[in-house]
Amino acid sequence: MTALGNFRILELAEGVSGEYCGKLIADFGAEVIKIERPSAGSPTRHLGPFAGSGEAIERSGLFAYLNTNKRSVALDLTTAAGRDMLQRIVATVDVVIDDHPSGWLAGVGLDPEQVETRWPGLVLCSITAYGQNPPDERRNAGDLTVFHSSGWGFHTPGVGFEDKPPLKGPGRFFSHYEAGQEAAMYIAGCLIDREHGGLGRFIDVSMHEVMVSRADYVVAQFVAGEMDVTDWRGGFDMHGPGGIFPCKDGHIYVFMATPDQWAAYRKMVGDPEWARDLPPDWLMKGLTPERIALVRRDLCDWLKERGKVQAAHEAQELGITLVPVNTPHEVMESPQYAHRQYFVDVTHPVLGTVKYPSVPYRMSETPAAITAPAPLLGQDSALYLVGRG
Amino acid sequence: MAKLQRGGPLQGVRVVELSKIWAGPETGKHFAFMGAEVIKIETKDALDFTRFDTLTGDINKARGFMSVNPQKLSALIDIKTGQGVELVLDLLRHSDILVDNLRPGAMERLGLGWDAVRAVNPRIVQITMGMYGNDGPLAHQTGYAPCFCAIGGLSALVGYKDQPPTGINMRYGDSSYGTAAAYAGLVALLHARRTGVGQFVDVSAVECMTTMIADSMMDYTLSGAEQACDGTRHAEMAPHGVYACRDGSWVSIAVASDQAWTALAGAMGQEGLAGDPRFATLAARKANEEALDQLVSKWTAQQDVGEVVRLLQSRDVAAGKSCNSMDIIADEQLWSRGFFPDAVQPDGTVRPIVGPGAKISRPAEICDDAPWLGADTDYVLGEILGLSEQEQAGLKEAGITS
Repeated sequence: MTALGNFRILELAEGVSGEYCGKLIADFGAEVIKIERPSAGSPTRHLGPFAGSGEAIERSGLFAYLNTNKRSVALDLTTAAGRDMLQRIVATVDVVIDDHPSGWLAGVGLDPEQVETRWPGLVLCSITAYGQNPPDERRNAGDLTVFHSSGWGFHTPGVGFEDKPPLKGPGRFFSHYEAGQEAAMYIAGCLIDREHGGLGRFIDVSMHEVMVSRADYVVAQFVAGEMDVTDWRGGFDMHGPGGIFPCKDGHIYVFMATPDQWAAYRKMVGDPEWARDLPPDWLMKGLTPERIALVRRDLCDWLKERGKVQAAHEAQELGITLVPVNTPHEVMESPQYAHRQYFVDVTHPVLGTVKYPSVPYRMSETPAAITAPAPLLGQDSALYLVGRG
Repeated sequence: MAKLQRGGPLQGVRVVELSKIWAGPETGKHFAFMGAEVIKIETKDALDFTRFDTLTGDINKARGFMSVNPQKLSALIDIKTGQGVELVLDLLRHSDILVDNLRPGAMERLGLGWDAVRAVNPRIVQITMGMYGNDGPLAHQTGYAPCFCAIGGLSALVGYKDQPPTGINMRYGDSSYGTAAAYAGLVALLHARRTGVGQFVDVSAVECMTTMIADSMMDYTLSGAEQACDGTRHAEMAPHGVYACRDGSWVSIAVASDQAWTALAGAMGQEGLAGDPRFATLAARKANEEALDQLVSKWTAQQDVGEVVRLLQSRDVAAGKSCNSMDIIADEQLWSRGFFPDAVQPDGTVRPIVGPGAKISRPAEICDDAPWLGADTDYVLGEILGLSEQEQAGLKEAGITS
């Protein structure tokens, strides 16, 4: 049995955030009907990575990942007939997911302001960069724009890199995935009380607000006046000797803050002379540049002889939170990921059989599963459109 | 009847939280923001270390703790005693969701593992959170947010060209992980509501991180490609970067099409650049990116950030200020959308908190700050568990509750 097999979802989204949201729901068994533009298909079909051979619009690994388990219906929403058909489909679904700019939904006949009266049972979720009706200077945004307006960009990497420009986030769609995840969570939440009262809701997900709220631990302290508000690039950070360091075969990350971790660290690097007189809680209360430099010097010496996996193993045995900095192939080769079967084989008619990342949660009763690859463009049109037109 | 009726989609849902630091509390915070009653169980001599604030020295007003625990209740029950565990199990009989992120194996050792929990309530959803997940060869290893990013493959993708990776800001990880856990937990609750069958939800922090770069992983599985750190560059956009402005601020500019490039060139007052063959197509701009970035930098260096953003946005080019902490708390749009709602502390102090990442119709009221330690023990023991005053006094005397 699947967790969401009794729900029907309409996906109007054509970007990474909405398609990711739809995927999270589809992988739990919901029937997700994806509307695509005839002939061109979703814009994500035109973004890499590309593989395989054959029709160009079926070769995107990005689309293949984001649209597992979905149905594809080709429908032209720029025509009145297409929008009329859309109305008929909307009447049969529980949830609509969209990620076009604010105002687009009203243009296709799904005005969020009218949802409550026209489709009282519908959960309508709109994901946008800055929420509904954004100010003029926030009408255009990419992932980078949001990452930087949320505070994450300015503070990446953070302390120690103030003389270099701020960076982008990991990958191409970091803020999009976060917004999609938030949207899926709110949809699930709204479906819970809809099961009882039957009433739907409008969900307005602002990618910007999602990203700011991901820094709640520090931003809450800024806004309450409890932490210094500055234009310093290290302003988000906890300070100390931790960080990313080179080892024999790459890099490791280590974090140390507590007296226990300090004691374990001394043991790990052979209890150097200079370290013996330091107060046990200096990592919390007595940080100085000189002390930090000494820790890092000894750590780098210790790491020279060790590979990342070995270093992590030895340090973790002592209670030090030291871990490998993994590249994609090392993530894939991790025995832990293998044990939990995080990467699963998916067979796609054009891309062949390759491993896909799955989901980060294991469920004892209703696990997420990829039972069908991403659809070919319009492959389910007949099923949903014939007899309705 | 729950102590607080705040409305929202999760009104009537009861959540018990045995969690610490940031990720587990974030999961509970999402539930509380949707209207659930979230009860944090705390143990006196094993408090969440975010309750210890070296500045305020006040466990009820510890800054980090308050940040991620608004709208919750707190009950002090010593789970290191058999009687305390029995009380928690009793509470779980009356609850829908249990969230825990203690050290791997700790819940089983306490007698609060999945078998014990479902034995008292087969409808319950238990969300267990661990860096590597609940089982597997490395599940015993522990770490904090930057460790999740390092293991999950994120850190290796963030850094300057030809330099060792730097990773994303060290605060990133817990909140995302807490959100994934909340989503999976709500899906399990939907299933439990329909079938009467609860389940065990085992969430891995490092897998949550890898999921945030899923398409980079697809790149590797499809072609064996591993992306190297490249500052702020993007395979499908150019220019794509963060540029210094005259006033010392930084502006992000992301040009997604030839049309946007023409608009940018126009904004720079250099219309001629649009037709320059070095920059006419994405492929050409990528091939000449060094020169392209120099041209853009030279222009932004002569402008104030606000002017760059206004000019580019008016021409439909994605651009925005790279916001520091002052900018975030002064953000007019965030305030006007109610992103920083006022919350009240038990002593009447009112302060703004960070609200939810989404706005919904008929939302739960967001009005309460984080709970004081043990403020709701009496409610849990008396009203939920139905213990007499005498029984409650006995537990207090024995040091089980307070």
